[in-house]
Amino acid sequence: MNTKNKIFKVLVPIISILASFLVGAIMISAIGGNAKDAYYYLFLGAFGSASNISETIIKAVPLIFTGLAATFAYRCGVFNLGAEGQFVMGAVASISLANYLAGLPVVLQLVISITGGAIAGGLWGLIPGILKVTRGLNEMIVSIMLNYIAILFMSYLYSGPLRDGSVPQTAAVTAKLGRIFENSRVHAGIAIVLIIAVLVYYFLFYTAAGFKLRSVGLNSTAAFYNGFPVKKLMLLSFMISGAIAGVGGSVELHGTQFRLMSGFGDGYGFDGVAIALIGQLNPIGTVLVAYLFAVLRKGATTMQVGTGMPTSVIDIIQALVIVFAVAGSTIINLPKIRQFLANRSQKNKGEVQE
Amino acid sequence: MSAVLNINFIQELLLSMIRMATPILIVALAELYSERAGLVNIGLDGIMAFGSLVGFLASYITGDPLIGILAGATGGIAINMVYAFCTITLGAEQIVYGMAINIFAPALASFIYKIYFGINSTLISATLMRVMPVPLLSNIPFIGPILFNHTPIVYFAYLLVPITCILLNKTKAGLNFRSVGEYPRAAESLGINVIGQKYLAAVICGGLAGIGGAYLTTCYISTYSDGVVSGRGFIALSAVIFGRWMPGGVLMAALLFGFTDALQLRMQVMSPDTPFQLPAMIPYLCTLFVLAFFGIKKAGPKANGKPYFKEER
Repeated sequence: MNTKNKIFKVLVPIISILASFLVGAIMISAIGGNAKDAYYYLFLGAFGSASNISETIIKAVPLIFTGLAATFAYRCGVFNLGAEGQFVMGAVASISLANYLAGLPVVLQLVISITGGAIAGGLWGLIPGILKVTRGLNEMIVSIMLNYIAILFMSYLYSGPLRDGSVPQTAAVTAKLGRIFENSRVHAGIAIVLIIAVLVYYFLFYTAAGFKLRSVGLNSTAAFYNGFPVKKLMLLSFMISGAIAGVGGSVELHGTQFRLMSGFGDGYGFDGVAIALIGQLNPIGTVLVAYLFAVLRKGATTMQVGTGMPTSVIDIIQALVIVFAVAGSTIINLPKIRQFLANRSQKNKGEVQE
Repeated sequence: MSAVLNINFIQELLLSMIRMATPILIVALAELYSERAGLVNIGLDGIMAFGSLVGFLASYITGDPLIGILAGATGGIAINMVYAFCTITLGAEQIVYGMAINIFAPALASFIYKIYFGINSTLISATLMRVMPVPLLSNIPFIGPILFNHTPIVYFAYLLVPITCILLNKTKAGLNFRSVGEYPRAAESLGINVIGQKYLAAVICGGLAGIGGAYLTTCYISTYSDGVVSGRGFIALSAVIFGRWMPGGVLMAALLFGFTDALQLRMQVMSPDTPFQLPAMIPYLCTLFVLAFFGIKKAGPKANGKPYFKEER
């Protein structure tokens, strides 16, 4: 039964992705486009050349960060919808530190800056955590409010105190993450995020602390009666989740964007939640699904240029993947389906006479 | 500062407060109906976005904003039916699915807008609903124009509060409805169709949330853009919590948020030197503080958020 469960968990996202591409094709045809052409350009945009592949990887990095943040939080039973705000605050911290770090060697600058991003994101994520643990507040609403506040704060900074010149954006950071491959823009951020993904996986599934966190997520009452400090664990999960998102913002700043400007971090937060859900809350799944989302995002512009299909089609396909995947994973849990599956396995074992 | 104490300023501020509180009030009442039947719907923001698009489109095509409002209601119901099916019949986790709707509905709205109007950045304008002053009452000095000089939807929203109060608390149908959210098994044993009531709640919620969204693009402003909702769905959610799941409380909460919204707009105008982002934070900060000080731990219908399966005994 356990392997069957695992097979289902992988099948559900795959089938949802295929189903949403199918519905997407129907929609494209319905408005008079050619689905084959559209998808051809989509994949061309994401995989067609070395530069395209690099751009896709670059787009995937922040999505993996917010996806991991959401995965981590959800595994501990808390809904961190504030990844967008934590991402932004991480970048804000980094940009604020940039002036003070000017003379230091680049590697040191990066280490301090990213650590600052982690702390900022962690603190920003701690706010909904504290309110939840002390006042019983719904952490979703709090974290979403904090998203708006963070984005407005960032906007204030790059239009005001940290503005560089007449355009509303900050000055570029001088410490930049190194390029890994010779002729592409892929930066060290991909290495950082993959290491973090492995660390999260190891922490959640192979350490005692991770086990305690997961048990709070699965059944907080049982965890409490087992002597686990439920409140402290929840706070810890908010903090780590926020820190991951904060590092993401920092890395995005030092890796590709280099400046804070309008639209920085836009949409990564909620997409991260979706990625976590579709990836079945597994860090490896998160990485894969985030890459898929990056493929969609990158290919969408090529598709629009090549066939005239608006990029919104891709948004809908993306949204449909979520709708199908979430519905799919719950169909498995329906009492009738569970009964059906149990009967099947018993029949196969010969325990039930037919 | 003397500008603030000006009677005209206060009058305009209160008028604006009533208008800006309206979408929050309608959507908060939508969520109230839904949560009273045990369905936590956090996809309100998405339903509002879709309702605002549908309402705008209908108003643009027919030239009548009222048709836009009705279309917005229909659109909201349609989207919420997806949510209802997956949470009631399939038993998906409501909060998770609400988030899925929050991502899906605005994407759909944006898509339809771009298909219909093409991909340009100029804002297309539809007709704005006309203000309809109540004949005698709007002439009362000072409070007349504040309370009685609005579009019909505003009156609808505020009338909905006492109607909801009476429906939920004083009628047998309302009692049956509420029992579904408190203890569905007991309700089922009394012959109440729990699943049916939940679907009814989803219809009401979707319809009202759609109207709330359509209000934004037909009565508040007459254009549609992707960020038109800007978090109001979540503010409405917190209004329900702040209002302790009662229509009167929800009204107070909505007025408070409408007030902060109206205030921050005026503050931006009054001190043009202060960057606009700082006053713009006020409504969100206000929501946070209000929740922090007045939120309580385990309130709300007892069976809120739990899927109901007939088979489980």
